[in-house]
Amino acid sequence: MSARGIKGQAVPVLFGLACLAAFFILIEFLINIGKINRFIVPLPSDVVKSFARVAVEEDLLNRFLLTAYEALMATLLLSVAGISLGVLLHRVRLIRLATETWIAALASAPLVLMYPLFLVMFGRSAWTIIMIAFVSALPPVILKTLEGLSATRPVLINVGRSFKLTPSQLYWKILFPAALPTIFVGVRLGMIFALINIVGVEFLINFGGLGQLVNELSERYDWPGAYAAIGFVILVSVMFFMGTERIERWLRPGT
Amino acid sequence: MAQAGHLTQSRAAAPLVSAVTWLRIGIIAAALLTWQAAALWGASLSKINPALSTLLSKVTPSLLVVAESLAEVLFHPDLKWPIDLGIGSWRFTQELWIPSFYWHLYVTAAEVVVATIIGGLAGIAVGIALGAKPFLSRAFERYFYYLGPTPKVVFFPILILWFGVGPESKIAMGTLSCFFPIVLSVAAGMRQIDGVLIRVGRSFRLNSWQMVTKIYLPAMRQPILNGVRLGMGVALIGTLLAETRLSNKGIGFMVTDAYNTFDMPRMYAVLVVLFAVAIGANALVARVSRR
Amino acid sequence: MAEPILVVDHIVKRFETPEGVLTAVDDVSFTVAPGEFVAVIGPSGCGKSTLFNVIGGLLDGYEGRVSVSGETISGPHAAVGMIFQEESTFPWRNVIDNVAFPLEIAGMAKAERIEKARHFVDLVGLNGFERSYPSELSGGMRQRVSMARTLASEPKILLMDEPFAALDEQTRLLLGDKVLQIQQDLKQTTLLITHNLTEAVQLSDRILVMTYRPGRMKRMVDIKLPRPRSSEIVGSDAFGHYVAQIWNDLREEATKGLKDDESRRARTSRA
Repeated sequence: MSARGIKGQAVPVLFGLACLAAFFILIEFLINIGKINRFIVPLPSDVVKSFARVAVEEDLLNRFLLTAYEALMATLLLSVAGISLGVLLHRVRLIRLATETWIAALASAPLVLMYPLFLVMFGRSAWTIIMIAFVSALPPVILKTLEGLSATRPVLINVGRSFKLTPSQLYWKILFPAALPTIFVGVRLGMIFALINIVGVEFLINFGGLGQLVNELSERYDWPGAYAAIGFVILVSVMFFMGTERIERWLRPGT
Repeated sequence: MAQAGHLTQSRAAAPLVSAVTWLRIGIIAAALLTWQAAALWGASLSKINPALSTLLSKVTPSLLVVAESLAEVLFHPDLKWPIDLGIGSWRFTQELWIPSFYWHLYVTAAEVVVATIIGGLAGIAVGIALGAKPFLSRAFERYFYYLGPTPKVVFFPILILWFGVGPESKIAMGTLSCFFPIVLSVAAGMRQIDGVLIRVGRSFRLNSWQMVTKIYLPAMRQPILNGVRLGMGVALIGTLLAETRLSNKGIGFMVTDAYNTFDMPRMYAVLVVLFAVAIGANALVARVSRR
Repeated sequence: MAEPILVVDHIVKRFETPEGVLTAVDDVSFTVAPGEFVAVIGPSGCGKSTLFNVIGGLLDGYEGRVSVSGETISGPHAAVGMIFQEESTFPWRNVIDNVAFPLEIAGMAKAERIEKARHFVDLVGLNGFERSYPSELSGGMRQRVSMARTLASEPKILLMDEPFAALDEQTRLLLGDKVLQIQQDLKQTTLLITHNLTEAVQLSDRILVMTYRPGRMKRMVDIKLPRPRSSEIVGSDAFGHYVAQIWNDLREEATKGLKDDESRRARTSRA
């Protein structure tokens, strides 16, 4: 998408980096001369320094692993349930006609706000977080699976019929592979929603991995630490996003 | 998509429509029956397994109770009544005010609308700059692209620090949430304008202002509206989550307040109405933008 | 003349439309002998594609009979290989796996089917592109992949529905050469559906000209051009003579089609 640049585009990229660096230096300078209150915005250099401290003192690795575990479980649930329901809706037209608009509507509702309900069911545990992430990210996975299966070009189905494929061969050799890129777009969307909601709910209910870290540090008024933790959360999400992008490209060979 | 399907199938599928209606009624009825069965089963367990019974009655309170709460939420007006306060030998009356659901809804809606306006204007401006200048796009767009899908709620402690505990920090949360998707969809929309339309504009020797108002903006109407719709959705989520974290008004506050007082029926009632409002608002914006 | 391999016997196909029953194909009968190349030509809307789908077994509910080597067919038949007008390669398979697809369905072992598929990839002149994906190929190359895939199933009859319609004229002529050469090498019986005059004359032994709606047989023209042929033949006098002769038949039908289309548009735009 936007990260197209390889060669001959080094100048704008460097310009962007330079602007970013200049921005942080300016902040540092303004705090040092007292134009910005250092209790509201900590020195960027302090934030960088506290990275190492937070990593050691707050057991960053285990927190990261806990968040990663929650994301993995939510992804598994999402893929299995979302794709199966999508296939069900595609195969049984009546169910699709009855429920597709409902699911599309649910996709636009702020389902994550149900998290207190899951707190009642599962307590302050990893399963509360996994389940809310799963439920709130499910509708787009179902809809994208359905979209991918329905958008298979009729000529490809005709090719299959001309070779006398059985209905199940038609599904597994043609419909499903044709839909796979779109299905993964849905799973990827679901994974991103899930991670956003996982970290968010960790922060809100003060349980678990990276989200809780931000909460704890800010409640201790350790602002350089909190900024560093937020930076780490952003870093992890960006890496996650890039990773899913990679998988998506791998699923669309040759493009 | 579903509508297009209905159009092409409307002739042949006439008897199927009623089957769909029946299935829908059936699904709703089955869901409600299962719910009520779980509630009754939970109540019947109170002697055998009190813990499970309590959990079940919390998770699936009887439909009647939920319906009562729903009526309470929907029809409860703002209440003001005088209460007698006694301090030492002094006695005086003060007005106690209990705001209705609609007041909380208004607070949240106002926060979301203000957030969408601020984030939307900023996002459209930045998006147009990125879309119009390839240099800026190559220098900065990747940051927006990768920061877009990150959790914004974790910024909330900082936003409280900057903007205080009132609605301002929720508006800031909503603004931060909706800014990124709007930037990206406006920048992409700008680049996707059919080159021939721009050449047509040039061939009629339009000046820059005319190019923007007669060619660019009309051609980008759809991506801008889509971006704003997307942005409004995430602004709503950001605002609500911020309210559940720290506030004394708004729908998010009502949800956590219900949870903190263990009034699960009220929480269901608030969530049901909230989801209905969100779905309705989204459908409305979608319909307006399709025109 | 040898025993015909394909017999199309009094085919009538009607469709229900909102404006009433439309007869797409009306009483079409012809035969194709082994090794013969027959083209069906007609204006758009003459029911050519319907005929293609009927013979290929993708459409049912028609009157009449289609038989292959004496066997009446209903539904897709292993002896009939189809090449479609639209881009029909599988984007998720590379060239060799696309071509090996019918062999995979037939349950052939992997090494064997790759070996065999390679032969057909060579035949359509795509050697060197075995590992490429369709998205990396041009439109003409993709259409050759589809052709190789169908040929790999070793059909007795090859059915082609305007296979080169989406290509430019020059590519079309060159691919025509490829088809001529393959037809010669394999003695492949072929039925080509087309609306392109040059293509039909360049490739065929006989051409069936169809009328515009309902699609009836207007004339069967024998093309007595020498074989082996190549696209150079388009410059010859005999070629020009055949093109002129067929256009003479076709022009009337195409004009009807155009008028009908315009009046239908006028109706819908008023409605």
